[in-house]
Parts: sequence; structure tokens; C-alpha cells
Amino acid sequence: MAAIQLVHVSKEYGGGALAVNDLNLEIAEGEFVVLVGPSGCGKTTALRMVAGLEEITDGEIRIGDRVVNDLAPRDRDIAMVFQNYALYPHKTVYENLVFGLRMRKVPKEERRRRVEEIARILGLEDMLQRRPAQLSGGQRQRVAMGRAIVREPQAFLMDEPLSNLDAKLRVQMRAEIARIQQTLAVTTLYVTHDQVEAMTMGHRVAVMRGGVLQQVDTPQRLYDSPGNLFVASFVGSPAMNLLEVVLERDGGTLVCRVGDTDLELPADTVGRRPALERFVGRHIAVGIRPEALSEAGEDPDAPRLRGRVLLVEALGAESLAHVEVTGTPLDRPELVDVAASQTHLLPVGERTATLLARLEHDTGVRPGHIVDLAVDTRRLHFFDLESGVAIAAAAAPVTAAAVG
Amino acid sequence: MSSVAPIAPVPVAPTTARPAAVARRRLRRGHVARRVGINLLGLAVFTVMIFPVYWMVATAFKPGRNIQDYKPHWFPAPATLSNFTNAVHRPYFWTDVKNSLIIVSFVVVLSLTVAFLAALALSRFRFYGRTAFIFLILGTLMVPLAALIIPLYITLSRVHLINTLTGVIAMYMTFVLPFSVWTLQGFMRGVPRELEEAAMVDGSTRFGAFVRILLPLVAPGLVATSIFAFIQAWNEFIIAYVFLHDGSKQTITVWLASFTNLHGTDWGPLMAGATLTALPVVVFFVLIQRRIAFGLTAGAVRG
Repeated sequence: MAAIQLVHVSKEYGGGALAVNDLNLEIAEGEFVVLVGPSGCGKTTALRMVAGLEEITDGEIRIGDRVVNDLAPRDRDIAMVFQNYALYPHKTVYENLVFGLRMRKVPKEERRRRVEEIARILGLEDMLQRRPAQLSGGQRQRVAMGRAIVREPQAFLMDEPLSNLDAKLRVQMRAEIARIQQTLAVTTLYVTHDQVEAMTMGHRVAVMRGGVLQQVDTPQRLYDSPGNLFVASFVGSPAMNLLEVVLERDGGTLVCRVGDTDLELPADTVGRRPALERFVGRHIAVGIRPEALSEAGEDPDAPRLRGRVLLVEALGAESLAHVEVTGTPLDRPELVDVAASQTHLLPVGERTATLLARLEHDTGVRPGHIVDLAVDTRRLHFFDLESGVAIAAAAAPVTAAAVG
Repeated sequence: MSSVAPIAPVPVAPTTARPAAVARRRLRRGHVARRVGINLLGLAVFTVMIFPVYWMVATAFKPGRNIQDYKPHWFPAPATLSNFTNAVHRPYFWTDVKNSLIIVSFVVVLSLTVAFLAALALSRFRFYGRTAFIFLILGTLMVPLAALIIPLYITLSRVHLINTLTGVIAMYMTFVLPFSVWTLQGFMRGVPRELEEAAMVDGSTRFGAFVRILLPLVAPGLVATSIFAFIQAWNEFIIAYVFLHDGSKQTITVWLASFTNLHGTDWGPLMAGATLTALPVVVFFVLIQRRIAFGLTAGAVRG
């Protein structure tokens, strides 16, 4: 077991394109860190640099107390699980599992004992003499995991190991990998493009975009206080509603003007974000998680948005309502998945945005209804429209606390 | 209602079943006709391809008078081995067989070794001029060999390699090697790079990964390429004919040409000699072809 440190690591491909740009990341001993981002964000390159399969242009990578920049993959004592499993097709399952041990000159008896133990744990005992071609996708995935585990390495590196499985198996293996990691407590760096996978598996999640690390934090804190618009739009399913609003002062309070509706901000929300004062009279971005919207009650003073229901998706435990309101949806290139998308159903000339709201499962709301959505203004997220950076609450500084 | 219900299926079932069955039978008949057609076509192609070979072997066993007869003799009856003994006892037969074997062994081993490394570079590494190199290889395969004979002869004579086996080996390499590189790199591309990477992470050196993982996986490719290299080198005539002068240094194909002289062609022994010449190719192929069919890369990555 060892910690992994990436210090100012960069990777430049021919032509000056930076695949990874000044990446700083520390994975503590026994920690499970997930590197997540859209395709082409440099996450796989970062992982391959740790593995030694890709050279580092700049910076330093440490595994344990060794700088491994110039070490061959085999000398780094790490194990890797590949996206396409990369099982040796001409070898049986047993030979696949034992290959790494044989390479490392582990005594024969010890090899056999360890392979058999891993096979038992992963339920592969009956398949040891089969070849990969004779296994199902899930079984191949297990062999690939087993090949990593049996080595008892300093760290696991996993490159989208679940992306080739069907949805059901993926959920099952997700839990299995998380459980195995917990039991063995091996330092793990896991790459995925799937934010759900990232949120459910990682102790901490590192979000990357365009080769640049955006934010590293626990899944919950990433969800509760995204550091910028990209992270806000990337993390969470369904995604956050993002709107462009005008911040105004109305008497003693600040209000957000969404279309022609004013949402009054609670004093403590504003109090914890002294920086908001600087944005008065300007356009800012506001994020509303779908669960911060609900059907409005009788209280006429509660902040609310009125809109027309376009669609209701009944998910069993809850219902997702797509509600069209007057307002300006945020339209920026870095946004991954924008719930508040532009629509053209209201009279032309008016800017409209579709919001996603998480309503009770027994909601009476139907498509075509005009509905009042109560907005939980304490749970709003604010972003500087120019830089995309969150106008964060001062009381919650971003810390990289170790999680074990 | 309840009294109707059990009756209802009775008239319905046969009326729906009958057209379906007819259609199925018709479909099956069409299917059968198509298969018969395809098989007949295959048989025709097979006959056209195999007949000259059959005629060669048959003629090799016919006595001389039956070969020259105006009425074709379809079967070698009565059969005789005299053509074979005649051919084998002609001057230089064994020497030329030996020469051919020496040349072919060198060409196959050399070209496959070099081609393996070249194909490895082409399929696994990016380097400046890689695409140009690939086109160059293809280009050399497109130039007709006959056009190169004179310049090659001059080149070889400058380095005193005319009338030597070494010279011919070098000449054969010029067309067998690019062909082998081209074929092998195709096979290597079929092996996912991750397999070697996995081996390297597992504790192999890069070279070890090539030997332990890539080599067994491209074995069918190596076998197929070596068969082609063997056939090309073994059957080559023009270069050997032009570059080798002494009877004791010629190859078996040139030796075969000696059956045609001023007095005409000695068909019986020629066919016997040709049959004997074809034999090593067949033996080599049979020995080695079983490995080709074996699909080794199956199951490496997601199925």
C-alpha cells in the first residue's frame, strides 16, 4: 500500500496540445479516488502516466516515497485494469491470473495458493481452465480484477473497467469493486466518464476538463458546493438547473430576477457570501438542483416560479417534472448536461427555460398544467458569469480532507 | 360464448397453418436450390483449378507413347515410375534441390525475422515518416520484377555476387521482405496494444511482452506469411535463371527448364520433375496450415 502523488504533472503531445495541464493530485494510502470527466479530458492520460505507459512531459509522480517518472511500468508495483480487460487470449484463466506472479518470481506453491484464493473470492474456481473467449462479459471483468488483486500491488489503477458491461451488471460490479477495495484497502485511482459511478464509488472525486483539474472533493461536497459551472453541470443526475439572472437590491434584501419574477434571497444566504454584494446590478448564473424545487404551498410570500408543465416522468419514488418558465437558460460551451434548456413553446420573443423539478411521486401535476414551483432559496448556487467560478459561501473553504 | 370458444381454434388453426407451411416449404426449396447452385459453382471453380495439377501428376505416371498420343488418356493406366527415375537421375537434380532448399530457408528465416521487427515498429510505434514507409513498401510490391532484372544484375555484378546463392538470396529478399512486412503488420494490428501494456504492468519488459504475448498471438500470421514467402522463393524462376549460370548452382525451377532443349520437350520426365518440385510446398503447407485456422485473439477484449 502506498500513496500516489502527482505534482505539477503535464503531458504534451506533438503539436503543443496539452492533454494534461499542471495536474496536482494526492491519493492517500488506501484511498479510492475517482478521476472523472467527459471524454478527451485527459483522465485516461493521467492514469496511464501513473502506470508508466505514457511518458511525463513535466512534473513528478510519486508512488510511496519513490519518484517513478523514469521507472518502467513493471518496476512501479502497480496493477491496472483495462477498459477492454486485455486478458491474454491464448492463456487460460489460471495462466492469466498467475502471469504477474510468475513475472515477479513468486515461488510456485505461493502462486498456486494465491490464485486459488482469488478465484474462490471472485467465484472463478470452475473457470480456471477456460480461455477468455469462453467467458461472459461479467466473468472476464472478474478475471481482469482478479489479475490485479492477486498481485497484491501498491496501488490499483482502473481505466473505465465497467464501461463494456450492460447496465445491470455494471451496477452489480460497481458495488463489488467498491467492496473489494474496502476489504483490501488498496490505494486506487479509478477513471470513468460516468459521474454516477464516480459519486457512488469514490472516497474523493477529481473532476477534470480539457486537461485541467477542476475540483477534488468528497462526492457530497462536490454535489453541495461545486466550484464552478462545469462541475455544477457535470455532477448530479438529473443535472442542476442553470439560469442567467440579474442580481438586484430591493430595499434591504437581494433578489434574483428570473425572467419577470423576483426571488428574494434569505439574509443568511447573502450573509455567508459577502462576495455577492459585488455582483449587485449585474448578470450572474444561478444553479437550482431539481430537489430544491417543489410544488408551492399556500404561503404567498414564499419565493416561487410559475411555469407550464411540459412532461412528467414518474420514476416510482419520485416524479420529475419538466416545467417551462420565463427566464434565460445558461448557454455556455463548458456545460455538459444542462437541465435548464432553451425551448420555444411560449410566445416568440420571450426567453424561456425548462426547469427540472423533483416532485413527490403522488404529485397531481400533469402536462399542460400551470404550476407554481417553490424555490428553496437557501440551496441556490451562485456563479460569476464571466469566470464561471462559484460565488462560494465563506464558511465552507474547500479542503482536501483525508478519508479512510 | 363459452360453447364457441373451444370450437373456434379448430377451423382457424389449419387455415393459418397451411399457407405458412407451404410458404416455409417453398422457402426451403428456394434455399436448397441456392445452396446447390453455389456448390456447383464451387465445384466448377475447383475443377478448373485442380485439372492442370491433375494432368501434371497423371502425365508423370504415363509411359511416353500415351503422353504424345492424339487421343487423350484421362487416367495414367498403365502407370509407370520410369519418368520419375529418369528425372531424378538427370544431372544436378539433388544439387539443385539442395540449392533451392538453402535459398528458401535463408529467405524465409531472414525475411520473417526482419519483417517481424519492421511490422512491430509499424503497428506499435509512431515515428516520423511512418506513412511514407508504408507506401514505399506497397510501391516496391507494385514494380514488376522483370523491369528490375537489368539494374539488379549490374548492381550484383559490381559486388561480385553473380552466380552465387548469396546473390539470389539477396534478390529474393527484395520482394519477399516487403510482402512479409505488409502482411505481418496487418496481423499485428489485430492484436490490441493493451495486451502488451497489461503484460508490462504485470512485470514484463517491453521485449518480454512482445515475446510472451504478441508473438504467440501473431503466430498464425507468421505461419501464413512464411507459407507465402516459401512459395514465392521456391517457385521463383526468372531471377534464378538470369543470375545463376552453373548447373551446380541452379535452383530446382531452373533445372526443370532444362527439360526443354533443341530437340523439343521431354514431357514425361518434366511432369515427374514438376510433381516432385511441387511436393515440398504441399508438405510445408500441410505441416503448418493447421495453425492458421486457430483463431487465437478471440476473447482478448470484449466479445
